[in-house]
Amino acid sequence: MGRTLRDALIALGIVFGVGSGAMLLAHVSPIDGFGALFDGALGNASELAETLLQTTALLFPALGIALAFRAGLFNIGAEGQIVLGGMTAGILGVALPLPGPLLIPVVLVAGACAGGLWGGLAGFLKARFGANEVISTLMLNTIAILLATYLIGGPFKQPGAGAAETPQLPPAAWLPVLVPNSRLSVSFLIALALAAALQYAFHRTVFGYELRAAGKAPEAARRAGIDLGRTAFSAMALSGAIAGLGGATIVMGVLHRFNTGLSPGYGFVAIAVALVGNLEPLFIIIAAFGFGILQSGAIAMQAEANVPRDIVTLIEGLVIVALAGRRFVAERRTS
Amino acid sequence: MAEAALRLRGISKRFGAILAVDGVDLDVAPGEIHALVGENGAGKSTLAAIAYGAVKPDAGTVETGGSVGLVHQHFLLIERLRVWENILLGREPRAGARIDRVRARAIVAELAARHGLAVDPDAFVETLPIGIKQRVELLRELAREPAVLLLDEPTAALAPSEIDTFFATVRALAQRGTAILIVTHKLAEVMGYSGRVTVMRSGKIVAAFRTAQTSADAIARAMVGGEIPALAARAATRPAARLAVRDICAGSGAGALAGATFGVAAGEIVGIAGIEGNGQTMLADAIAGIVPYTGEMALDGELLAPALSPAQRIARGIRVIPQDRRGEALILDWNIIDNVALGRQRDPPLRRGFVIDREVAGRFATDIIERFDVRPPNPKAFVGTLSGGNQQKIVVGRALAGAPKLVVAYQPTRGVDIGAAALVGSRLIEARNAGAAVLLISFELDEIFALADRIFVLFGGKFVGEFDRAELDRGRIGALMAGG
Repeated sequence: MGRTLRDALIALGIVFGVGSGAMLLAHVSPIDGFGALFDGALGNASELAETLLQTTALLFPALGIALAFRAGLFNIGAEGQIVLGGMTAGILGVALPLPGPLLIPVVLVAGACAGGLWGGLAGFLKARFGANEVISTLMLNTIAILLATYLIGGPFKQPGAGAAETPQLPPAAWLPVLVPNSRLSVSFLIALALAAALQYAFHRTVFGYELRAAGKAPEAARRAGIDLGRTAFSAMALSGAIAGLGGATIVMGVLHRFNTGLSPGYGFVAIAVALVGNLEPLFIIIAAFGFGILQSGAIAMQAEANVPRDIVTLIEGLVIVALAGRRFVAERRTS
Repeated sequence: MAEAALRLRGISKRFGAILAVDGVDLDVAPGEIHALVGENGAGKSTLAAIAYGAVKPDAGTVETGGSVGLVHQHFLLIERLRVWENILLGREPRAGARIDRVRARAIVAELAARHGLAVDPDAFVETLPIGIKQRVELLRELAREPAVLLLDEPTAALAPSEIDTFFATVRALAQRGTAILIVTHKLAEVMGYSGRVTVMRSGKIVAAFRTAQTSADAIARAMVGGEIPALAARAATRPAARLAVRDICAGSGAGALAGATFGVAAGEIVGIAGIEGNGQTMLADAIAGIVPYTGEMALDGELLAPALSPAQRIARGIRVIPQDRRGEALILDWNIIDNVALGRQRDPPLRRGFVIDREVAGRFATDIIERFDVRPPNPKAFVGTLSGGNQQKIVVGRALAGAPKLVVAYQPTRGVDIGAAALVGSRLIEARNAGAAVLLISFELDEIFALADRIFVLFGGKFVGEFDRAELDRGRIGALMAGG
């Protein structure tokens, strides 16, 4: 709990400290700048819906990253997993001749499977050859994006579609809208339910127990009969599946088609979200909402207060460096 | 008494909430061998570090009659450098900008000859046996001609014969006027070699004796602050074959296990005597299923395939108490409840469906806390905050719960206080009485003599001797441990 509070305070300090400094450099009063940001994110119902949409997009990969972190693994491949989950949903949502009630769950699961495959690949490389998952997931990101670009522009190219996107999904494959006249879909509720399920799984189930043991003290876990290789594989596969599910919900709930630009870096910002939430799924919901405000308020801040939206990217990057770096240093020290 | 070479006055040092050293006065005279004894955590190593100057005291003064040398329990040598490079590190004789190697070798050879400590100046340290490494460590300190030499658990890694040689050197040094302070917990060495002995408990000096006028018992009682708890009685058992091991080989290089054959019966404690680094770790890890091995292993007549995982071995009733409780057995920032569940998380009644039953885990923790007198008796206490002895009680309690068939106890009382050690020993005897097969691997001969029914001596990865409890021969065992 102490650590959660401290990490949250560090993140808040960076947001308001660095943010204010950067705004002053841009000759804008921080009060005006942050005012525009918060107003743009929370000012009315439709803006709030947009913020929750960003929250959802961050929450899925953040939960996946937290699961991997719990097992002592750093999944920075969520971005690629989002892309492949989204691509799978984009292709299958158009191609599968299934009735509506069946189509949505099948396509969602397929998207999760694609992300899971991608994460599981890194987990397999770790378990079998000891390959560092940081490097393998980072490389798999690039492969995922290029693979998707190739598949969409080549073998799966559809008549009437642009080079880097799939045709529009049939409405039967669209996720039901949660708030009328907004793009916020039931995916928000799915993400919340997933967070609750993971909170339970981490702390109550045998799976979560073994995951945490392997992450905290691999040598003790191994000697207690926990298969570290299997744990690494299943943690990375599940982590990727959750991120892939997030990608599928963006395609089915927001864009209604897949294009390779579906994620403006959700998979990376989600690292900061997971760490600010101290890897506790229920805290991660709050952290995702905070970062959702930044994401959705950035445009309003640029338009109304003349503050470059890149400041938000800067802030997010600094939070990642501060929290991930600190965690790494702490872990090196104890091991 | 002559002017003291080392004079400590009113030394205090606090680490967080713990007052490690509390107002200590201590004098060591030139030519004296002074033993500083106490249980783990009594503050003796901190006091030595303060005398050396590595730790700054919060209060008090340190006066020395010259430079101070320190020989560490864990050698501080650069393994990949040569002996002379280690000994003269930082004080290499120069020829212009270069090191004068010829003169360096001559200095080391002369130093070694003067102290009667034969070493090859050109050997790489990593190729040397432990006893020789310690010689190098000692020579490095002697090269500075210290007025005071501090020895922190200097014999922990030595064979009995090497210990005798070591103390002969120490005596010769003392006769030439060096003041020597030995930090140790081995009372036999205190009685055999020291002139005076100072006992610390909880950061304070609680007793000081002339060695000739006291007894090991009196020193031990002062260390514990009361009577030493007796071990549990050994019940008559009818040992029946349980673990059978034939020709096990594991690992490579130093510390490999090179064809070990032995058995442990139900209702018996078999002790493996040997000096650290002779294959003990491979033996424990092979039985645990942590390292690959060749050879045959059978439990109750059923062959255990080498590929059998740790989990499958645990399921067959094998429990291993690892050597390093902090790194290999416990999760320090978890509480006692979560730690006692480790290794049992998949077994009913702890597992109920997909979920761990917290009530069962809590009861399990409470049982161990009661049976092993864990303090504080709070199942929600974080294990990292407990003392070493209490941590070890949890590891041992977890291993002995549920009537295991075979218990491998590797250094089960390492670094724990006398009270906790006696309790762990008693519980191992009780497990034996109840029909468990216990394999005790220890570097402390006294522990093996106190607990084992049979003793195998391990040297160079092979068993070189077998003794029954009734016919123990300390001298012969000590010689075999050293390869004699």
